[in-house]
Amino acid sequence: MTLVHNWHLGRRMEYPYFESRPKHQFAAVFNINRCIACQTCTMACKSTWTFNKGQEFMWWNNVETKPYGGYPQSWDVKTLRLIDNPDNVWYTDDKDKEASPYGTGAPYGTYEGDTIFEAAKKKNINQWAVGYIPEDKEWRSPNFGEDTAKSSNQPGEYSTLPEHSRWFFYIQRICNHCTYPGCLAACPRKAIYKRKEDGIVLIDQKRCRGYRKCVEQCPYKKPMYRGLTRVSEKCIACYPRIEGRDPLTEGKPMETRCMSACVGQIRLQGFLDDNPKNPITWLVRHHKIALPLYPQFGTEPNIYYIPPRWAPRAYLRQMFGPGVDEAIEKFMVPSRELLAVMSLFRMAQTIIFEYKIEEGPKVYETTIHGKKFEMYNDTVIGFDADGKEVVRTTIEEPVHVRPDKHSNSI
Amino acid sequence: MKKFYRLLRSYGVALLGCLFLSATLCVAEEAEGVKGMAEEEFTPTKEVLNVKFVEFDCPKDVTVCSLEKALKDAEGVQVKLQKQDKAFPNGGGSVNAAEVKAVHDGTAIYFQVSWDDATKNAQAIATQEFRDGVALMFPLGKVVVSTDEKFSPRMGDRQKPVNLWHWKADWEADMVASGGIEECPVRYPNMHDDFSTNPHSVNYHKGLMQSAAVLAGGVSAHNLLSMPNRGRTVEDLNAEGFGTLTSQDHQDVNACSKYENSKWTVIFYRLLNSNDPLDVQFVPGESTYFNMAVWNGDKEDRNGQKNISTQWHPLALERIAWQ
Repeated sequence: MTLVHNWHLGRRMEYPYFESRPKHQFAAVFNINRCIACQTCTMACKSTWTFNKGQEFMWWNNVETKPYGGYPQSWDVKTLRLIDNPDNVWYTDDKDKEASPYGTGAPYGTYEGDTIFEAAKKKNINQWAVGYIPEDKEWRSPNFGEDTAKSSNQPGEYSTLPEHSRWFFYIQRICNHCTYPGCLAACPRKAIYKRKEDGIVLIDQKRCRGYRKCVEQCPYKKPMYRGLTRVSEKCIACYPRIEGRDPLTEGKPMETRCMSACVGQIRLQGFLDDNPKNPITWLVRHHKIALPLYPQFGTEPNIYYIPPRWAPRAYLRQMFGPGVDEAIEKFMVPSRELLAVMSLFRMAQTIIFEYKIEEGPKVYETTIHGKKFEMYNDTVIGFDADGKEVVRTTIEEPVHVRPDKHSNSI
Repeated sequence: MKKFYRLLRSYGVALLGCLFLSATLCVAEEAEGVKGMAEEEFTPTKEVLNVKFVEFDCPKDVTVCSLEKALKDAEGVQVKLQKQDKAFPNGGGSVNAAEVKAVHDGTAIYFQVSWDDATKNAQAIATQEFRDGVALMFPLGKVVVSTDEKFSPRMGDRQKPVNLWHWKADWEADMVASGGIEECPVRYPNMHDDFSTNPHSVNYHKGLMQSAAVLAGGVSAHNLLSMPNRGRTVEDLNAEGFGTLTSQDHQDVNACSKYENSKWTVIFYRLLNSNDPLDVQFVPGESTYFNMAVWNGDKEDRNGQKNISTQWHPLALERIAWQ
């Protein structure tokens, strides 16, 4: 084992390989508050990559309902039990208030429990990370628990904000293309690699021998064993699109299928780098409104979530770490810059590398939970990898009035 | 020679990387993942497997039964097996011993390996299911194994390659499966299959059928595990230490097997000389070494989770009678 810095945990941790961060890291922000679980992302992925023989059970992208849903069933509860850490203790007194450079710092505080790697060492179980292989029946019902609420309400009792007592929310899951992947650590053949250019994690289909150590030790359960080919497969982050090989974006990096297909406009994909005007970097590293999923696993996952504002905070803290309260507070009363950056979601398929805000007039003012909220009709502009403008939109959506001649035409 | 260069080229990156990183990476890795090896592991066993020369007509249909007569008088050795405890992931320990017998007929060599296994695991389709297997390992080239000339009995070592023959129970089933490989409906008979191979079925879609191979990563990458119609039950491989196992471009070994009374019997066979520089070559009158491992699918054995012998076993081929 070597010591590497995991900025989600705000500390160094043990990992079988040296720290080696890509130039820029494939990442995305999912706004849970907006998701309607229409599964358009799921089908976009399925119809592109996993519609074939032996992949019947595979959903590289899936949307599950929390707290009861899970694909495979109870994947998170089972792994949380393995790290044996019911209290999820964090030391948050000295967390970094300021933005830290990419890949360092302690923006959420310091995690005091064990990661999947440290738990394995402590238990002396002769593998790199704790884990388990979900059986075939656990993969079978991806919609298990869908729309099922947890409730402590009496009959006739209603839920009220800020925390609903009868609640559920959707969580959208793809491979997290982790900085310290459990699957990569687990593979005894080094058949799994993380690309230096974009941080995408791939399984070499020639080198894989179907040992299922990746299925076992990925805490998110995203590598999947294909019984037909006797080797494992996983989300490939639509790398041909990321490489700009789809003619539509003329050689420019393009967002994945699941991102582009998002009807609810909950997803924005890009790269984490050290540019504070990169929308992903700003949302994740600077504004800290988007949080990693189960950071305590220790893999430094790269899909970030804006937590659902109505769900119980204790549950969310377990799922997204101690940054939850600050993130929800910022989301409920969004800043001028946050409104602008959130307007970029799903405005283009070309990956946005930088944004610029042109200030507009104040159009609205109110109070939300006792806090003053002002809305300005700013214009936000998104630029692609080469600095070319690809998006220009305003905070207020343009209104189109259907001319009289079309009325009742349906 | 061409093949040797190709192997060198494909290993080139790894070898170069190892040279540069050996001082750092290997220290980090070996300190944790690979524990030290005892001195006795570099000493071969005293018991020698004598490979008798036997004249017999090779049966047209090679099965354990049809080879029974040829192997009747073969000498055998008992190989003690134990769990693999050096390289991550560790495991095994459910099979304690195996019997190995061998004969040659001047053209081919036959190794019969038998061991007790209460469960037959001849399928690896479901996520949680693993196959039974057995492997023989031979040093490449002419070597002397001693405490002075250290040659690892565990997957060989850098600059000390080994040739491995890995028999897999599910490949035996693939041999007779329609389409040349057992597909998921064999394991799940009631599953809905979008890919009916029957052209008269309502589920038949020509375009999809043609795309099946393209969108099967393992097939597109020519991974032998994924390929239908392999025509054999043994994979011919090389290794130069833990984690370096690599399938050969040229497959030369085959085997037949039988599972009866809670016991596997596998007979490997190959020509004495395979004309492949990456293969072990057997010369009557000469000797070499072998080692072996057994995987118990029921105990989720695979990869380093296996039952191994920790010493090389000498192997002496009898001279051909007319020599």
